[in-house]
Amino acid sequence: MSKAYKQVPFAAIVPSPKTENEGMVTGNWRYLRPVVDKSLCTKCKTCWIFCPDACVNYSKDDGISFNLKYCKGCGLCSNVCPVGAISRQPELDFEE
Amino acid sequence: MPIKKKGTGLTAVADAWQLADIDVSASYPIRPYTAIMAELAKRIANGQMKCEMVHGEGEHAQFSIAHGASMAGARATTGTSGVGVTYAFELYSPIAGARCPIQALVGDRTLDPPGDFGSEHTDCLTLRDNGWIYGWAQDAQESLDNSLMMFRIGEDPEIMLPQIVAMDGYFVTHINQEYEMPDQEQVDKFLPPFKPQFRLDVNHPVIMGPQIEPEMGPPLEWDRNVVMQRVSEKIVTVTKEFNEIFGRNYAPFVEEYETEDADMVFLLQGAHAVTCRSAIDYLRKAGYKVGMCRLRWVRPFPDQALKEILPKFKVVGVIDTNTSYGAAGGGGVLLVETRASVSEVANKPMIQGFTSGLGGETITHEQFFKMAEMMKMTLEAGKIIQDSTWVNFNDYHEGATEVKYANQQVAYAKE
Repeated sequence: MSKAYKQVPFAAIVPSPKTENEGMVTGNWRYLRPVVDKSLCTKCKTCWIFCPDACVNYSKDDGISFNLKYCKGCGLCSNVCPVGAISRQPELDFEE
Repeated sequence: MPIKKKGTGLTAVADAWQLADIDVSASYPIRPYTAIMAELAKRIANGQMKCEMVHGEGEHAQFSIAHGASMAGARATTGTSGVGVTYAFELYSPIAGARCPIQALVGDRTLDPPGDFGSEHTDCLTLRDNGWIYGWAQDAQESLDNSLMMFRIGEDPEIMLPQIVAMDGYFVTHINQEYEMPDQEQVDKFLPPFKPQFRLDVNHPVIMGPQIEPEMGPPLEWDRNVVMQRVSEKIVTVTKEFNEIFGRNYAPFVEEYETEDADMVFLLQGAHAVTCRSAIDYLRKAGYKVGMCRLRWVRPFPDQALKEILPKFKVVGVIDTNTSYGAAGGGGVLLVETRASVSEVANKPMIQGFTSGLGGETITHEQFFKMAEMMKMTLEAGKIIQDSTWVNFNDYHEGATEVKYANQQVAYAKE
């Protein structure tokens, strides 16, 4: 099989992971990336609740961060942020 | 011991599902499917069957329920008709892609133009590209038998694909006929319990139907393509075993009737084959060398069988009990696929398209006589004079008088 393809298990049935599944990375669909301004963030966790792909991580010390391996750039987090702390920026502006 | 029963195609499939010991059935009423759901509910309430029956709020929900149940390891069934088939459309590809061998019963009904309870095959044929195994039963007995065969084929660990037991609405679903209900021991010998390799289980969690990267899609599509081709081999072996256990005599793909010396054959599927056979008996008496080929399966389409069978004849009249407006050749799905099957075969016959039996119309003897007449004129002319004929609607352009005369001759032979 050509290198361009990735072999998938029977019917794409994969063991259920506890946190994330390295075999099914889907963050490469994104063309806008969420960026948080930590000076504005109140750590209210609204974005954490709303993210449909569970890509928002939260820690007490650092506040929120995004798991970009699975974030598809839907922009829901920036829309629901009550203080405007999350912006969406073009993916090509970032080196990685 | 097998028992003789009187019932409809729907009660026959209810018998098959009872014998197959299904675990879950999802229901939502729509004519002519509805009676099987009533029949199952009655049997469950009476304690004849142990099955969980879940009522959906529509066909989309119905197929979703069956999808979930199948993923949890249940032998799951559902069914629908007409616009119900199309309302559930979103589910067909995911169910086949997840390799969930659900069985659905479709009592065929016209798609609304804008409201027609009549029988035709258009509803089911709209979903032919989604990876389901399916074919048409001509009567109650074959509905029951196809159901058992399809469980066996679809649940084979090498296949794992969903199936549709299709039958003509009313003609098969509602007309009382005599059929044989097999013995439980016979069925147990033929159909092992459903034990999928993967299922949703809290102790061994898996993800079914995950989001995948585009690079992962083509191999999955390839798998579905390969497995659908393998279904044909399974149909041959399963039909043979079925015939041995239950004493039937089904051909794996195409039933032939009076074809030994035939120049012309009708090619069709479903319940109109019953009328076709008796029309052929009259036509034979009137000197027409005509026979019938009846398709038992549509997916996988029996193209190899047709490549072998059809070159024996000079004219093949494909009768479409469905429409595909604007299709190549102006006929329906069957005409297009039959032509594609034999397009590269040496000595291929002239393939003439007929559209008949739409909207619940019965294809009468007279219509079969008329079609035979048109095929005979094609045979004599050595070319198709008029293709894509909607029987009863098109005028036959050349030789219309002769057709009328020959019809009288056949009617005379009938008397």
